[in-house]
Amino acid sequence: MSNFFQLVRNEWMKLFHQKSTWIMMAILAVLVLGAGILFKVDAAFTNGEVPNGDNWKQELQEQNAQLMEGSQEDLKYPGYQNVQENQYRIENDIAPTAYNGWDFVGDNLGLSGLVGLFAIIVGAGIVANEFRWGTIKLLLIRPLSRLKILLSKYVTVLTYTLAMMVFLYVFSLITGAALFGMDGFSQPHVYQQNGEFQDAGLLSFSLLKYGLSLIELTIMTTFAFMIAAIFRNTSLAIGLSIFLMMAGSSVIFFLIEKEWAKFILFANTNLNQFVEGSPIISDLTLGFSITVLAVYYIVFLLLSWIFFTKRDVAGS
Amino acid sequence: MSEAVMQLKNVKKTIGKKEIIKGLDFEIHAGEVFGFLGPNGAGKTTTIRMMVGLIQMTEGDVVIKGHSISRDFKQAIRHVGAIVENPEMYPFLSGWKNLVHYARMMPGITEERIHEVVRLVGLEKRIKEKAGKYSLGMRQRLGIAQALLHNPSVLILDEPTNGLDPSGIREIRAYIRKLAEEEGVAVIVSSHILSEMEMMCDRMGVIKNGELISIQMVHETQQREDVEVVFTASPVDQSATVLKELTGKDVEAGEETLTVQMAKEAIPDVVSELVQKGIRIYGVNIHTSTLEDKFLDLIGEGAVE
Repeated sequence: MSNFFQLVRNEWMKLFHQKSTWIMMAILAVLVLGAGILFKVDAAFTNGEVPNGDNWKQELQEQNAQLMEGSQEDLKYPGYQNVQENQYRIENDIAPTAYNGWDFVGDNLGLSGLVGLFAIIVGAGIVANEFRWGTIKLLLIRPLSRLKILLSKYVTVLTYTLAMMVFLYVFSLITGAALFGMDGFSQPHVYQQNGEFQDAGLLSFSLLKYGLSLIELTIMTTFAFMIAAIFRNTSLAIGLSIFLMMAGSSVIFFLIEKEWAKFILFANTNLNQFVEGSPIISDLTLGFSITVLAVYYIVFLLLSWIFFTKRDVAGS
Repeated sequence: MSEAVMQLKNVKKTIGKKEIIKGLDFEIHAGEVFGFLGPNGAGKTTTIRMMVGLIQMTEGDVVIKGHSISRDFKQAIRHVGAIVENPEMYPFLSGWKNLVHYARMMPGITEERIHEVVRLVGLEKRIKEKAGKYSLGMRQRLGIAQALLHNPSVLILDEPTNGLDPSGIREIRAYIRKLAEEEGVAVIVSSHILSEMEMMCDRMGVIKNGELISIQMVHETQQREDVEVVFTASPVDQSATVLKELTGKDVEAGEETLTVQMAKEAIPDVVSELVQKGIRIYGVNIHTSTLEDKFLDLIGEGAVE
């Protein structure tokens, strides 16, 4: 076990000494900061005025009345246009809060796609680069099984993905709290699930959403890792993975009528669809999606293992 | 003869329908430098890759210190240090960190040992620099350093003097000899530079189109075999008769010259005999058939199938 730890240490050492690792982290930090400043300067991004005075219930009711008349113009609170949501808040006594650090954390979940991109780059590179550099020949002539070397690389990719998500979460929280304050931190978050409104604590809700995104990223990264282990080519692995990540959801729209569409990987990768909003295919459930993902995941890992350990390392 | 550290037993490799290695059988012993010689495309690198388990054999086996590389990889490979083709290092890591990286992959290598190999290959001054800034010669040294970290019994070096300047070549050569003679390491050196191999190796195996066509002792060939001696003497007829009597070999007589295959050691005696018989000698020349001639004889020119 101790030599496995040493292998992971080696992989981290190599990651840390590559400029691209730091550039990716810097890009993420700059985007979070940039979004924070943009949201701070332009209130249109942060839902404008919020009815959070003492008589907020009355204000929301007035707005609801105006909305039900069909008048969309001159709304006092443009961020609260959903009659049902407003009603839910009034009934459950959840006052709207001004845009705060938690909201910023929630909005920045959109940047998880970028984290995914970076994780794909690292996941594809960690195996294929050794072939490109030629160092694979020195790596595989040690008294260690190829499986162990492959696993150490995979564990490094997973911890990298996790670290980048944690960085996104924590850095967003710090930036958000600094720019938008911590007002309403204890207030529950109101969201819609399958047409019904619900509420949940902000900390647990945001952690759940980030966690579910992390699963999606893990699947994509594992896919890139597999392509790299099979074809030993960084560009191919990155290109193919990004293409599938982008094209995946559009493919689902084309095939949505087919009965087998729900078995396609990309119908299931977005687990947040079960938490907020509604699933892309109506008869999908969280349990079903997790099962499908698990099957794909195991297949990806098996293929990586078979190709990496069995294939000859021939001349380039 | 000392123990065989590495044995190749009927090693074959077939890719598709083409048999590229056609049954190699040889042994390498502790304390010897074995030269692995052959033109490009003969199968040197493929064989070396099979020796270290990077490529699977189609048939046969490589046994290192009693452990099969295909069935008992970990036990076999722990006795091997190698550079396969070019000494490729992580360019973004310092020389030192490159060594630490490989040291972590093998049991029981102390920091002290890493310092030791750095001194051995003479890289102390620049070991903290990034390997990407190294010249090919320096990377070659770093490559040798990583191969020596774990005190291997077999050292496999693919073209080790590639990219070194003449003084570097001499150093590496001396160092390889020292490893073999003092530490008893079996060193396998592949090369196509014959003069290089002559100076460095004890035995040489010549490979052509995936077949081992000759194994010979390097120094033996130079000392014991007859050399071609050309005498310029007159009268030619009489000299030919005398020479034939003295050497017991066939003499090829030209217009003014006589060519005979004979032992180098016998030349002075033959000359004094000829002089005593009143033959006038204008010249004695030795044509040493170099290893290169032999090598070309063996493989033929442009011999890749």
